Amino acid sequence: MSIAIIEVRNLSHQYDSTPVLQGINLTIEPGEVFGFLGHNGAGKTTAVNIMTTLIVPTSGTATVCGHDVVNERRDVARCIGYLPSEVRLYGHMTATENLVFFAKLSGVSNPHAAAAETLEYLDCTDLANLRVGSFSSGMRQRIGIAQAVLHRPKVLFLDEPTSGLDPLGVRQLRETIIRLNQDLGMTVFMNTHLLSEVAKVCTTIGVLSHGELIYKESIAETLRRFPDEASLEDIYVRMEVTGG
Amino acid sequence: MIATIAKHQLLLLRRQRIFLGMMCLFLAMAAAAGMLGWSSHHTIVRVYDDAKQLLANAGKPAPPNPFLLTPPLSLLSNMTIYIPLLGALLALVLGHLSMIEDQTDGTGRLIFSRPVSRTTYVLGTMASASSALAAILAASWWVSALSLAIVHRSIPSVQEFGQLTLFYGLSWSYMFAFALIGMVTVLLTQRRSLALLSAIGVWLIVTFAVPQFTSGLRPSASLNPITDPVSTSQRFFKVTAKARPYSVVEQYKAASGRILQTATAEPVWETMRRVLPLAILIIGLVLATIRLVQQHDFSRSASNE
Repeated sequence: MSIAIIEVRNLSHQYDSTPVLQGINLTIEPGEVFGFLGHNGAGKTTAVNIMTTLIVPTSGTATVCGHDVVNERRDVARCIGYLPSEVRLYGHMTATENLVFFAKLSGVSNPHAAAAETLEYLDCTDLANLRVGSFSSGMRQRIGIAQAVLHRPKVLFLDEPTSGLDPLGVRQLRETIIRLNQDLGMTVFMNTHLLSEVAKVCTTIGVLSHGELIYKESIAETLRRFPDEASLEDIYVRMEVTGG
Repeated sequence: MIATIAKHQLLLLRRQRIFLGMMCLFLAMAAAAGMLGWSSHHTIVRVYDDAKQLLANAGKPAPPNPFLLTPPLSLLSNMTIYIPLLGALLALVLGHLSMIEDQTDGTGRLIFSRPVSRTTYVLGTMASASSALAAILAASWWVSALSLAIVHRSIPSVQEFGQLTLFYGLSWSYMFAFALIGMVTVLLTQRRSLALLSAIGVWLIVTFAVPQFTSGLRPSASLNPITDPVSTSQRFFKVTAKARPYSVVEQYKAASGRILQTATAEPVWETMRRVLPLAILIIGLVLATIRLVQQHDFSRSASNE
């Protein structure tokens, strides 16, 4: 059995005494594409914010790549890539300038080469010298993915990556996630509402409801366990209603 | 890493139209200060020459040219007004722009998901703001030096260059304090517009409201390059006037007046004492900015309104 790449134990968080996460336990194995499902306000983004070291949990622990997110923040930051929802990047800078800046922050030895290589890998070389402020949301999302993976992280966190994308953009994103997972071996942790994408991309799903993790299983096992449900959407609705 | 963040912020500032516009306006005002100085010099000399001619015709001796009695740097006395008015406003905008994008556009989330400490980030941001101010003031220094050279038809002396540099050094400190205020208001508010409005509110209080109380409600206190003595019969304003040594803008004007020799001579330690409130303000603002960035929740984007 491999060592977990993400390990969360009794993780809780509250904003101004309002509990958002309540004692979550979660283990993600290397190479998984994990779909984190849940209604609005379930606490998905808060969980990702903790795992990406942006906020400190009220209680409990979380380790990413074997490093504690609170006490070994820098080590965690070195092994993760992160694309928040609705990120705008620096609109006054070109795609390359944005990427070079984030590559430098990530400690990449040759930032310009890393930026060019990543743009090529994601088939975005045509956007390299254009200012991000003039991009459509789909183009911006592609550069957003590029900034998240240019230092070749072990774990990629995506928060609602399909929001604001048209069907073509959603398909491109799906293909990109699969390539990153299969070609580069990245573990992907994806917050999403789009159940159709979860079924096509993820290997495992977890369902968060009112700050509690009510379900976590592989897609294959989930479909086997709920044979009567027509789709993943039906399974999700049933879990939400029955609490897992 | 601090240099990386500073260079990045400078690149962003260079591409912001509002900042470039204000910078051009500021440099134009520096040139205007020189122009006004030249104009007043020209007028005085012309009147003197006419008077001298009249006196010569009447067979009377002429007094010495009054302009030769005034120190050369006093030509720039208007700069001591432009810095608190336009310079501080420019610095506010600079401080605001240095931080607002990372707050409203979610780029702060990307930065802090990297192995970058918050102290590094804030020091890099401060370094970029201070460098931008230094570059603007260096350009303004050249404009002023050029004005002096044109008016006096000779290159200013080493001492005058030193005094000019000292004045711009003091002005840099004054403007840097306002750049920090621009940053602090971004960190304390949840909206882009509110952040800028709050910063302008602080600027209005420091520049216009406080001098009214500390000068005994003298209407021209904010716009006069020379700090007048307090003269009031009202008890309340006699009490508030005691806060004058702590009024940053008035002490800046007084110290600048001493450096540019437009004010009455005073011991050096007295001038240094005038700078003390500004130094304390800057230290306080630097510490507050670092503390606020360390505590700030960058995971939540502020409203872009």
